[in-house]
Amino acid sequence: MFRNLRVRREPQKFAPDPLQLSIDEIISDASIPVSIRSINNLPDNAKRRLYRALIPIGLLTRFRINPRSWLGPDGNTRVDLFAKPGSGLVNLSIWNDENRDDPFFTIELEDNSFNGIDLNLLVLSDPDAPRFQTDFDESGARTEFGTVRRNIVAEERAMLAGLAPGQTRAGLRASSEVFNHVESFLTLLAHHAYFLEPLSYASAWVFERRGFAYVRGHKLMDEIHQEFQPEGRLYRELDESTPFRVQDHWNSVRGRAWAIHDGILQVLNTRWDRLRMIKQVGRHAGADTFPEGTY
Amino acid sequence: MKSQTTRAAELETLGEFRDFIDEFCLLAGVADDACHDLKLAVDEASTNIVTHGYAGMNPGSIMLALEFEPQLVTVEITDFGHPFEPAEPEPPDPESTLDDPTRGGLGLYFIYQTMDEIRYRSGEEGNALTFIKRLDS
Repeated sequence: MFRNLRVRREPQKFAPDPLQLSIDEIISDASIPVSIRSINNLPDNAKRRLYRALIPIGLLTRFRINPRSWLGPDGNTRVDLFAKPGSGLVNLSIWNDENRDDPFFTIELEDNSFNGIDLNLLVLSDPDAPRFQTDFDESGARTEFGTVRRNIVAEERAMLAGLAPGQTRAGLRASSEVFNHVESFLTLLAHHAYFLEPLSYASAWVFERRGFAYVRGHKLMDEIHQEFQPEGRLYRELDESTPFRVQDHWNSVRGRAWAIHDGILQVLNTRWDRLRMIKQVGRHAGADTFPEGTY
Repeated sequence: MKSQTTRAAELETLGEFRDFIDEFCLLAGVADDACHDLKLAVDEASTNIVTHGYAGMNPGSIMLALEFEPQLVTVEITDFGHPFEPAEPEPPDPESTLDDPTRGGLGLYFIYQTMDEIRYRSGEEGNALTFIKRLDS
């Protein structure tokens, strides 16, 4: 047993490198974590069987999509699976009508550099709700969820309609169910946790309620909460100088999120890109950086 | 009886952890001296995490989980910073540590003095230091 500990200098990998993992090893030891790359190297039908587990059945049947064939009521496919051999990334998207460029569900998982798994993207939009063009600027260029460019007019409309930064439509209110599926899928692969980088303050708040803790940024979230209190530095920046910096934004998750999206963190000499969250499979962390906060 | 709290990895959290342990001990009926040992051990371990585990990072979370069973309390402290690894043991010098609280390496010595069992594991789900305090009957 150890008597002393020191900080490990070399980064630690959670699992063997994918290319070293043979199918024999997967069969022989069920505790070895399996990578996305390993699954992507399987034949098409085999990986389709596995990735099917990521989509809640109720989400498909709600839109009359067959959960096995992924065909809609018109007999056309409604689900895209992107999982190329040799790649460590899987992307699944579902759309409701003929417009496959406007999916209502998108999930993207990717092997990370420590052989763990990152949830890169999760979109859950109600296809029947009004759409706001926050994802394209006025010249038609992609805004990348408002992180690279902004469509201020569309954002203001989205905000007034009750959306959070990064959303184009109201949500489907199915994230809890999707996370349960992700955890079941990762348990199938023998992973113990997964990671993500929250797009917005509102996302981080939701992920806290889904049981995530912080690898980076818990202290920043505490500081944000503190500084949004009356007389705090962020509170004082709610000076009505833009539609996103109105004073009553201090006391709601979405209000804070829009103000942060508008760059208000400059006053703290930081930006919204320093956070990373972790979900331990089967364990709710109970982090709460906005106690009794309302969405 | 189980209880858990998750806080930011900063020194201010240590006081919150002490209050949390006090409340837990009160509810579980843990004696004052054992409760004091638990607070000391959690203080030392958490200080190491704050000052070394999250060094150079925008600090993440520390999760403190306590479990009371008849005759023992199990404490688990989880973080997501740099993992620790076993190092060559150094002879403890408590006087030096008291004079120089910034000098590392002796927190674990105090934990060994007050706890009955210690385990450490590091992996995909974070770094978890677990120690067990057996309670006098």
